[in-house]
Amino acid sequence: MTSLTHGLASALYLFAAFLGWTGRSERIGPGGIRLVVALAVLVHAAGFYGFHLQEPPVPLSSFPAALSLIGWGVALAWLVSPRGLRLRASGPWVATIAAAFTIPGVLGLELAHQASENEDLSRWSHPHVLLAAAGFSLLALASLAGLGYLVKERGLKRRRAWQQGLPSLESLDHAEHVTLALGFALLTLGVLTGFAWTVSQHIDPWNKHVLSMLAAWGVYLVPVGARVVRQQRGPWPARGVVIGFLFLVCSYIGINLVGAGP
Amino acid sequence: MKLSMVGLSYRTAPVAVRERYAVAPGQLAEHDAKLVAQAPIDEAALLSTCNRTELYGVSASDLALEHLHRFLREELGDGSAAPVQVYELRGADVVSHLFRVAGGLDSMVLGEAQILGQVKDAYRSAVAAQSCGPVLGRLFQHAFRAAKRIRSETGLGGSTVSVARVGVSLAREIFEDFSGKRVLMLGAGEMAESALRGLREAGAEQIAVVNRTLGAAVELAARHGGSAHSLDQLPDELARADIAITSVQVDRPLIGPAELARAFARRRGNPLLIVDLGIPRNVDPAVAGLDDVYLYDLDDLEATAERGRLQRAAAVEAAQSIVSHEAGEYLRWLELAPHAPTLAQLRRRLERLALAELERLRGEDPARVAEALVAKLLHPPLERLRGELERGTSRYYADALRDLFGLDEEEEP
Repeated sequence: MTSLTHGLASALYLFAAFLGWTGRSERIGPGGIRLVVALAVLVHAAGFYGFHLQEPPVPLSSFPAALSLIGWGVALAWLVSPRGLRLRASGPWVATIAAAFTIPGVLGLELAHQASENEDLSRWSHPHVLLAAAGFSLLALASLAGLGYLVKERGLKRRRAWQQGLPSLESLDHAEHVTLALGFALLTLGVLTGFAWTVSQHIDPWNKHVLSMLAAWGVYLVPVGARVVRQQRGPWPARGVVIGFLFLVCSYIGINLVGAGP
Repeated sequence: MKLSMVGLSYRTAPVAVRERYAVAPGQLAEHDAKLVAQAPIDEAALLSTCNRTELYGVSASDLALEHLHRFLREELGDGSAAPVQVYELRGADVVSHLFRVAGGLDSMVLGEAQILGQVKDAYRSAVAAQSCGPVLGRLFQHAFRAAKRIRSETGLGGSTVSVARVGVSLAREIFEDFSGKRVLMLGAGEMAESALRGLREAGAEQIAVVNRTLGAAVELAARHGGSAHSLDQLPDELARADIAITSVQVDRPLIGPAELARAFARRRGNPLLIVDLGIPRNVDPAVAGLDDVYLYDLDDLEATAERGRLQRAAAVEAAQSIVSHEAGEYLRWLELAPHAPTLAQLRRRLERLALAELERLRGEDPARVAEALVAKLLHPPLERLRGELERGTSRYYADALRDLFGLDEEEEP
């Protein structure tokens, strides 16, 4: 049942992305992509509720479930963003990212079921997963805004900006700023709760999982310091945000695929 | 009398070439006078805007075009324009072209209003230089009428945007809104005024006007609620600006990479949009290479303007038919122009005869007055006609009379 709902949510994300990239979203009414993404988010949430109903419950801390949670978080954060942050033309990108995280999660759900048998849960596990996934989702949106900024900036330099249909440079910068600040704060809390979780489970707190997350967190210090603390704008913080997210994805996925961590 | 025109515009030459042929408004009359001082040009007018430099001439000689080419090359420019960048027109084509130019149909921003003022400036300068005779004078008057009709009858003027306002739409690609943004206006002329009006309408509140003549800056700033500064404050104002629009007459760029690099030390990556509306350019093109600086000159604005052009394509057809109609009217006048003195003399003579006869018959019966008036007016030509017919030399006069007065079409009451 949970596989079915997650599969349906993935299909809806893909459909929304298809509508956006092919320019057909208006055919299903105004705000077509938002409507489909909202439906996908609801179906996806039902899937997570299904995890909870299973016996034993599927832990969100399992790698496939956490990936799916990040995909859901990206879509949800985009949906509930105020107008100033929900960037024009970002719908297809968000739907694609949500699908990209949800589909591997669906494919690995069987592993998550098996993991649930041996999962060592503590009171820190769910706060860690929820905070880290929320931070991850917002940082994904920040990197999307940063990437948009770089593309727009290049277009403006080449005098072709109006052909791209992207929001203004200022909107992209603002969205990047807010999502980076919030995402980094949540990621920091995620790292701290993760550290507390390993300590509560009597696992080496400096294991590969924790160290990789700490490294990613450290990489983010550069753009956060530049953009949030020093209020530096322009392409350099945007590059830092994009690089930081790539590092975060590689370290998180890499370290889980090699099977290390709590 | 033959009309000819030689010029170059944004359609044929890039800004780097156009700026070398541009003439400051204050120098137009001087060049007009020089043009007519050289045989065989009888009448001349020079139109110079940021997008075009065109020489209009009237001459009885076939060598007029050659002279206009030479004047453009040697007196106005430095010879940098390639032959393909300079165009020439003759006769009816000159008429249609000027009407299209005045109506904004040949402008970078289709239907823009500013060009009409610039054409009027060209006409006034030619009048001041006494280089504008009856042929060019009537041509310009018809051009103004065509432009007025295009604006009022086609709606092209209603949706018009000036080049400066295209710059405003470009600024929207960088800034979401203009409130809280500082606008630096370098120059205080007509273009600056138009740009400021557009920015104010778009929501800009903080405006700084920098100009060589502080008085002009003060006046412009007062009209738009901004502050006025002299040219030596330009580096400070650049450091604070978000949008800089430049439109001053200069021989060489006022803003270069060195000035901006100093200003950027304090900007923390805040973007600066520079729209250079000046001809010659006010900003060194090398500035575009600096981080966070987005430099656009008149050529770059053309792509944006092209979008508006497509949207207003329907109105263009109507405008074009106005141009054709007005050009036809003018060309008919031009054809008749050599005979105009004869016609005027005939009118004067008939008026004089009629007035004398009316004075003589004051208080008489109207039917008698009409009869006498007709007899008086027709007496000389009818006597001449009788003489010719009696001699049998020609039936030409009789046929001409039937044709001129439409006697074959007239029905007896």
